[in-house]
Amino acid sequence: MAALGTPFGQMSVAQLQAGLAAKEFSCHEVAAATLDVIEEADAPLHAFLEVTRDAALAAADALDARVDADAFAQAGALAGVPVGYKDNMNLVGTHTTCASNMLESYVSPYTATCVAKTLQAGAVPVGKLNMDEFAFGSSTETSAFGPTLNPWDATRVPGGSSGGSAAAVAAGLVPVALGSDTGGSIRQPASFCGVVGVKPTYGMVSRYGVVAFGSSLDQVGPFARTVEDAALALNAICGHDPLDCTSQPCSVDFTANLSEGVKGMKVGIIPAFMEAEGLSAEVKAKVEEAAAKLEAAGAELREVELPNAKAAISAYYVLGPCEAFSNLARFDSVRYGYSDPGHKDLGSQYEASRAKGFGLEARRRIMLGSYLLSAGVYEQYYYPAQQVRTLITEDYMKAFDQVDCLLAPAAPRTAFKFGEMAEPAEMYLSDMFTISINIAGNGGMSMPVGLGAESGLPVGVQLMGPAFKDENMLRVAAELERIYGPAPVAPGFKAGE
Amino acid sequence: MTQHLTESEVRGIAEYTRIGMTEDEVAQMTVDLNSIIDSLEPIREYQLDGVEPTFHPIGSLSNVMREDVEAAGFTQEEALANAPKQQNGSFLIPAILGDGGDR
Repeated sequence: MAALGTPFGQMSVAQLQAGLAAKEFSCHEVAAATLDVIEEADAPLHAFLEVTRDAALAAADALDARVDADAFAQAGALAGVPVGYKDNMNLVGTHTTCASNMLESYVSPYTATCVAKTLQAGAVPVGKLNMDEFAFGSSTETSAFGPTLNPWDATRVPGGSSGGSAAAVAAGLVPVALGSDTGGSIRQPASFCGVVGVKPTYGMVSRYGVVAFGSSLDQVGPFARTVEDAALALNAICGHDPLDCTSQPCSVDFTANLSEGVKGMKVGIIPAFMEAEGLSAEVKAKVEEAAAKLEAAGAELREVELPNAKAAISAYYVLGPCEAFSNLARFDSVRYGYSDPGHKDLGSQYEASRAKGFGLEARRRIMLGSYLLSAGVYEQYYYPAQQVRTLITEDYMKAFDQVDCLLAPAAPRTAFKFGEMAEPAEMYLSDMFTISINIAGNGGMSMPVGLGAESGLPVGVQLMGPAFKDENMLRVAAELERIYGPAPVAPGFKAGE
Repeated sequence: MTQHLTESEVRGIAEYTRIGMTEDEVAQMTVDLNSIIDSLEPIREYQLDGVEPTFHPIGSLSNVMREDVEAAGFTQEEALANAPKQQNGSFLIPAILGDGGDR
């Protein structure tokens, strides 16, 4: 049970729902108090781009009217739980800006399937969360509306691109948030902020209504402070959606095997990842420690090779920009989005609107993608990148013939300072351990395992599983949680106390 | 650093992608893109003869069809709600040919 006076945003889903079922508090009280805490505590943090007070209170009041204590168990897995959404997810009547000037005044005319599914499960939508512009980045520094701060250290980035989602959960503003991950955008910020972040297998969660970046790589997933909360959220959002033809049926209850332990499970370590240039000593030490503790808990450790994973970063920075170039062609200053005023011909309106509407990193990736797909260049980069994708996918399939789960670093180091990564190519290396799993499509997650010995900042280890067997990595994560304890609320940022 | 792209080629890409750029921006973008393309070189050094490409993680999927039944979509008003300019129920754009003259 939560301590008396614990702010609702710092409770777990189970704690909130126990209190709601026992009528210690109502959904309205939870929503109103959470909104008040966000409006006060988020001013310095800047995790939220919009607080959706009316939508939250309406959802909470509808839940209160619908359920009495006895029926609460049927009200949905997320009934009464305040949830925040990355601002690339449409929720009807809210702004969906992608943290870009291009969409500053865009109001969603519909709701993304992943958001709708949380609402059907009883979630209370409290707001939209900051991100790198169009998800291009690893720090939220490319947000057109200013960065989010890391709740553990305000001089450092929260990671990205789903930095607002990770920071809001780490600061105790919400128990659950949704993010999206194209090359590490859930796992790297989860690692930097010390929370659980899950990128499910590609196809588990519908992408309908989530503004597209790399359509063959993007996947939506949850952030939470406990593995069970992440599993509950995953239960709510996964499954086939007629509006996304890549989404697959899913009948797994991801909470079912969390208490089973790891005895008899085979956990793989990738030696080349552990020896990678750029991996910090403190993160490496934490991954080794987690491996040893899993072994002590009954898991069998095995070394496995992913010989082609070293090509993943270059393959990703070919495929990602190519898909982004194609997806961002839709911003035409005519149907929606920023339109530069005063032009007498359409061509100059296009050029001025896209120049002013898109930030530098977005323009860089659009132009890079255009170049890489041009005649004569396509054969040199794009086509080989898709061939490399075959090799990486086969590597993972062979690895998962030998093991049930892989254990690796999530990010090469703990949270860096604002402005520290000045060169684009240097920033791109933040995702060196996360990208290959997006290329293959498998699920991966970051699990907090305490603080780094040198920096004193959160470290996440990455767990990866066979395609459509995401329950494997969650089961290992639950064991790590029993060993290390649930993710703490960032100590300097206990919102609402 | 290898010169993969000249400033003139970058100007051409800007035109094709409909992104207006100043000369200074073209110069900086040329440096940035050449540096990024340099970092992509490992992809060209791979021995890939006979390897089939994978264009999508769910490779077994093709031509997913739905039943051909009517479903509600946006109303005209909803479709126009985010339009920067509209007139008589349509998106309003400046002239496509020429400068359009004064209106």
